[in-house]
Amino acid sequence: MIAQLILATFTGLLLLGIHRKVIARIQRRPGPPVWQEILHMLKFSFKSTWIPATASTVLFRGVVLVAIGIWTAAFFVLLTGGSLLVIFGIYMLHKIVEHGFGLSSGSPYGKFGGVRSVISAASEIPLFVSVAAIAIFTRSFDISDIVAYQTVHGPLMFIAFPAAVAMYIVILSKMPFGPFSIVESKELVSGYKTEHFGVWRAGLEVCNGLKTTVLLATFLMVFVGQLPILWLAAGMLVLVVSLSFACALTPMLSPFDSVTVQTLVTGLMLCYGAILFIGVMA
Amino acid sequence: MKRRNAAWIAMVGVSAGITAGILNMLGILPLWLYAAVLVLSFPVFIIGLYLWWMAEGGKEDIPFIGY
Repeated sequence: MIAQLILATFTGLLLLGIHRKVIARIQRRPGPPVWQEILHMLKFSFKSTWIPATASTVLFRGVVLVAIGIWTAAFFVLLTGGSLLVIFGIYMLHKIVEHGFGLSSGSPYGKFGGVRSVISAASEIPLFVSVAAIAIFTRSFDISDIVAYQTVHGPLMFIAFPAAVAMYIVILSKMPFGPFSIVESKELVSGYKTEHFGVWRAGLEVCNGLKTTVLLATFLMVFVGQLPILWLAAGMLVLVVSLSFACALTPMLSPFDSVTVQTLVTGLMLCYGAILFIGVMA
Repeated sequence: MKRRNAAWIAMVGVSAGITAGILNMLGILPLWLYAAVLVLSFPVFIIGLYLWWMAEGGKEDIPFIGY
């Protein structure tokens, strides 16, 4: 499993590198090489490291361990076909972790990044109402059951398309340089991770790699079904390229607009869920 | 942290994960306990490894804290 975790980390970082490259090419820039994010992780791990004088030492270090730990758990849940609710719970925990990153350093940039993380959580997390639509069809939140349902009835992407859109927006919200990436916007330098550098930043990069793999693979398993490993990789690549187009062609929204758009989508999803539920009850 | 201590931390992390995996395959360790060990040991392994191979630490400083 440790080998799989390392492979998933490198895969996620490679996909994030492809994401940056595609955005750059759309914007007619050469862009970094696709393995840039992997190099970032390695580069930070070799660097000289210390902790800012204003930081809470325990939180500053501990939050990195927690960040890697929770996405290790999410990867485990995904591989074992566990509950989708656990993965979404971990996503919520990640928001608290981002907040912890920001608060631990004592830097105002980090603090603002952390606060924005909580603001964005308020609108991203309700998007998980999409699972209600899935459960109306599958009668289960377990990924293994959802995959089994799709084996018989076909991909949920066609059966519950609005739910797939909501989940897609959740993933778009977590992609760097996207319209909803308010936690990392440039007026905050690097947002919640501004003061984490060296070994601790490298640890955060490991978390980002794992998180990317888990979220993309979860989307494919929940809305497309069980795929052979090569098709899964191809699907993740297609998904990342589509996200890159969305990120490259859309300006970053202001925090207020970001929350408003996500809340509107959540409202539409609630209506969709209610219509489905009434249909099932009737 | 001394490099030797960091190396030990990384070794303990990876050993715990591998041992738990083997015990789970043999049916001695339940799946949930294997998951719990892995969630705790993998971050320890990663950070221990990085602390082992990082460059020497510098002096702590005060970040920019506003105008």
